[in-house]
Amino acid sequence: MAGPALRHRAEAASLALPPLLIAAERVAAAVVQGTHGRRRTGQGETFWQFRQYEPGDPVTRIDWRETAKTQHVYVRETEWEAAQSVYLWRDGSGSMDYASDANLPTKRERADLLTLALASLLVRGGERVTLMGSGLAPVYGRAALDRLALLLSRGATASDLPAYEKLPRHGQVIWIGDLLAPLEATATLVLRYADAGLKGHLLQVLDPAEESLPFAGRVRFEGLEDENSLLISRVESIRTGYAERLQRHRDGLAALTRGVGWTFATHRTDQSPQHALLGLYQILAER
Amino acid sequence: MLSLGSIAFAAPWLLAGLAALPVLWWLLRVTPPAPKRIRFPALRLMLGLAPPEETPAKTPLWLILLRMVLITVVILALAQPLLNPRTPIAATGPVVFAVDDGWGAARHWDDMRAALDRLIDQAAREDREIVLVSTADPPGGRAASELSLLRPADARAAAANLQPLPWPGDRTQALARLQRLGLSHAAEIVWLSDGLDGGDAAAFAAGLVRLGPVTVMGADGNALPRLLAPADADDQDLTATVERADPSLPETLTLRALGEDGRLLARRAVTVPAGQGSIVAHIPMPTELRNRVASIAIENEASAGAALLLDEGWKRRPVGIVAHRDTAQPLLSGAYYLDKALSPFSEVRTGDVATLLKGGIAVLALPDSAALSDGDRQAITGWLDKGGTVVRFAGPHLAAKPDDALLPVRLRSGDRTLGGALSWEKPAKLAPFAADSPFTGLTIPDDVTVSRQVLVEPTIDLAQKTWARLADGTPLVTAAKHGKGWLVLVHTTADPEWSNLAMSGLMVEMLRRVVAVSQGISGTSDKPLPPVETLDGFGRLHAAPATAATISAGAAAKTVAGPRYPPGFYGTADARVALNLAPAVMHFAPLPALPAGVRRENFTRNTEVDFRPPLLAIALLLMLADFIIGLALRGLLPRIRWHAGAAAGAIAFGAVLMNAPIARAAGNDAAAIAGASQFHLAYVRTGVPDVDAESKAGLVGLAHVLNERTAVEAAAPMSVDPETDDLVFFPLLYWPVVDGERALSPQAVARVQHYLNTGGIILFDTRDQEQPNDFSAAAAQARLKRLAAGLTIPPLVPLPPDHVLTRSFYLLENFPGRWNGGELWVEPTADAINDGVSSVIVGGNEWAGAWATDANGVPLYAVVPGGEPQREIAYRFGVNLVMYALTGNYKSDQVHVPAILERLGQ
Repeated sequence: MAGPALRHRAEAASLALPPLLIAAERVAAAVVQGTHGRRRTGQGETFWQFRQYEPGDPVTRIDWRETAKTQHVYVRETEWEAAQSVYLWRDGSGSMDYASDANLPTKRERADLLTLALASLLVRGGERVTLMGSGLAPVYGRAALDRLALLLSRGATASDLPAYEKLPRHGQVIWIGDLLAPLEATATLVLRYADAGLKGHLLQVLDPAEESLPFAGRVRFEGLEDENSLLISRVESIRTGYAERLQRHRDGLAALTRGVGWTFATHRTDQSPQHALLGLYQILAER
Repeated sequence: MLSLGSIAFAAPWLLAGLAALPVLWWLLRVTPPAPKRIRFPALRLMLGLAPPEETPAKTPLWLILLRMVLITVVILALAQPLLNPRTPIAATGPVVFAVDDGWGAARHWDDMRAALDRLIDQAAREDREIVLVSTADPPGGRAASELSLLRPADARAAAANLQPLPWPGDRTQALARLQRLGLSHAAEIVWLSDGLDGGDAAAFAAGLVRLGPVTVMGADGNALPRLLAPADADDQDLTATVERADPSLPETLTLRALGEDGRLLARRAVTVPAGQGSIVAHIPMPTELRNRVASIAIENEASAGAALLLDEGWKRRPVGIVAHRDTAQPLLSGAYYLDKALSPFSEVRTGDVATLLKGGIAVLALPDSAALSDGDRQAITGWLDKGGTVVRFAGPHLAAKPDDALLPVRLRSGDRTLGGALSWEKPAKLAPFAADSPFTGLTIPDDVTVSRQVLVEPTIDLAQKTWARLADGTPLVTAAKHGKGWLVLVHTTADPEWSNLAMSGLMVEMLRRVVAVSQGISGTSDKPLPPVETLDGFGRLHAAPATAATISAGAAAKTVAGPRYPPGFYGTADARVALNLAPAVMHFAPLPALPAGVRRENFTRNTEVDFRPPLLAIALLLMLADFIIGLALRGLLPRIRWHAGAAAGAIAFGAVLMNAPIARAAGNDAAAIAGASQFHLAYVRTGVPDVDAESKAGLVGLAHVLNERTAVEAAAPMSVDPETDDLVFFPLLYWPVVDGERALSPQAVARVQHYLNTGGIILFDTRDQEQPNDFSAAAAQARLKRLAAGLTIPPLVPLPPDHVLTRSFYLLENFPGRWNGGELWVEPTADAINDGVSSVIVGGNEWAGAWATDANGVPLYAVVPGGEPQREIAYRFGVNLVMYALTGNYKSDQVHVPAILERLGQ
């Protein structure tokens, strides 16, 4: 393999990234307005307020310039900017490559967009982000976004749940996918991460057709992953059963996450991505 | 062959297949349709969901019905249904075709010939001998040749020679010939009849029946030929009698009056009521026109019977009466009585001599009261020499002054009174007319008397000049040839003062004879009349054939049209006598009741229609429909949106059938929605593939830059064609100008003009900066001029340095594209118009080339001479341009910013 050819391919791949990144930035920009900072005192670089010296404050915190102006001794406080490590994961399995209508994005496109937009938001907030399963340590700064975008464009992963990996405590995991894996498997994984002391948030991205099952008549359903096909003689007749089962699945996921203090939300590809992103961001910001 | 009414099946046993239909019904019902295939990720959730009903899916009822219809059509098609199946000629032995080729056959001659050809073909297939009998006598009156048995080929040749003949057929003689042939076997006989009785039809049919089974073919009842017979030639209007054989239904036909040269002079619709066999049709016409009519014909009927020839006897001659228009005491005026007597058969004009002669008249009537000047006399004399006829009436004035030159005889002075209070004499009666008088044959009423008259000086030739006498022998009407014309004197008055002749019907008849003399035909012709032009069977006039005989002297009235004397014009070209067919037609009625056992058929009914091909075509269409439905049910028709419902299906089906414009309209709507829902950059398609690709790539690159750097969210660029597309969705159009650009159509010009007027901006890129020289600039100008012909654009100016375009986003000083240099031309800034925004921007730097990138964002074309920095400037120009298009003169306020800042600073 000639080196130049490889490089050319890599450049081509990276050139294709900006549209996704730009879209993600645009989505993120719409969300970030109005949700500023942590608004409390803490470790950080940004000035927050002056406060009168109280016994116990380290002397190094005294702002001498301000103290010299007045009678009192002032301490300079900075805004709390505790950087967190956020571990993102999005479902890259075959079942995500689905859109019931040509006008809708596929679930994967929507998941990629949300992941990257969320990463962009987090990076703006000074958090460290990385993609689970990438082996990449959480990184700061806008350079992280390019890298994430590259990783996301690498495409499919086989599994519809993240593999367990050892993550530091107090980190946050965010899983974006259709989360259609059996409830037991999901539960096992969630409990394992919760036991490890991580907080988490699950976002289920579904196509509208997966909610409403709008088909009728005799249909042979074929899975997008290597699954057997299923012949349904009258789809209308199982619509109610399907809806119940989907609801039960979601209820199960919600109960599971509630039990460990995680959160669960759903998103449909015909809804605006900003909506889902705002929800996610607010949950993250509250912590 | 199974026959049901007029439909028969050639292979009826195949209809047994219909019995299998119920089995098919059952099979179709239990076999479910193939399922749709749908890819679906949430399959896992469905896995355990057993459908509550276990019965297999059923094919929808309408689909079963469609397939049953399909099978039925196929079975019916295989059974080969025939409409009007041809009856085979039965048995063996010769076939006799008796063909009516008299005048009545002309109307349906084509049908008859086609039927005859078919029959001969059929006989040829069965290898039968043929006897061809035509019922009309051959022309010239010679006997018809004897019959013989013909081979089919000879029969075909003989049939090809048949033509309808312009006289009635003689079936009796045809039957005699047929009987003389003495057929040994019983023959099959087909009589192709013209549908007319002719007086001999019943006997002919009876005679045929004795020879073998008979089939009569003919036209329908109300399609029998019509006949035009002469009506009263002296009627006010042109008249003809329309006769028809079948009076059962009302009928409207159109008569055409034709001139000598075949020119149409008048048309008139005539309706014959039901139950009436004939009607006299009136065709009102001005006299001059009427005199030019040479024949009358029934429209759309070509036969000798439907053409009526008119000769001189039909013409109405204008007669002038010299009189003053004195209506105070009309009953005392001779002109009044003359008018009444002349008007039934001629056109009467009244006036002075000069006016009348100028208007062109045939006869000039001079009552006694008419005062003639010398000029009048000269004029009348000149006119007489040229062939006019003058009728003078005596009276007190003439009696007083009888030395007039305009008299046929010399008159004695004074008058003679017959009867009266002091006389024993009775008023005189008229003597019978002499044989050589034009008045011969007229009956003289008993009560016509003459009480006064002028008297003649006896001369030797007086007897020859006298046309009518009184009972005592004195001349009452004298006449003399004068030049080419006639001078006639009636020795009594035109009013009842001297004689009651003026009030009698005899006066009318006599004047009519006199007017007839003016036509050049006096009494019966004593010359033989050779044929001039004769009609053929289709009623067309031709030069007389050699077989037409000359009508012998004096026999014209008694001659009847026939083989020797075909209908037509006889005599000389100047004085023609018309011989019409109508008097020769006897028993003009439909065929009488025919003997039992005679089959009747129509010429046209025998056309056999095979239903197999259309049925198979229908079956094929149904199969295609079934195939498409099957695909649709399985969800394999990708382009049809089922949520659009039946309409989309109908549109798709319609598009298959007729390339529907509906589909295009739907496409237009889709394009409009796409164009309006987002901001698109747009370029104009030039039809040059390279240029269009470059424009598209350029706008893709520019859109990318816009999305990256500005708040503008540009979607994928669209292409437009001003000839077909709506432009209103796009704030900015990039319009590359190429060689061979065709001028815009008027609709496109209107569309572009509307676009510019409503705030659109067009960037015309002449792309000529590559090798700038005067020639290329001129060429580009010419192209642009041709392109923009019809658009109202103000004179353009070079872009001023403080123009908004230089700072609508970036601050720019020049505007390079792929090339650099040249001017950018804009409309002069005028705040009143369009907010001072130039709607047209013209330059030649091929900007799209600089903007163009491939899908990965790699630039496509080199930028000269500035390289990548110049490309950046080009992008900045693009951004400025889009901002200019979107925000208009917003940035022009910035002109004043330095001044404002300066003031604030102070």
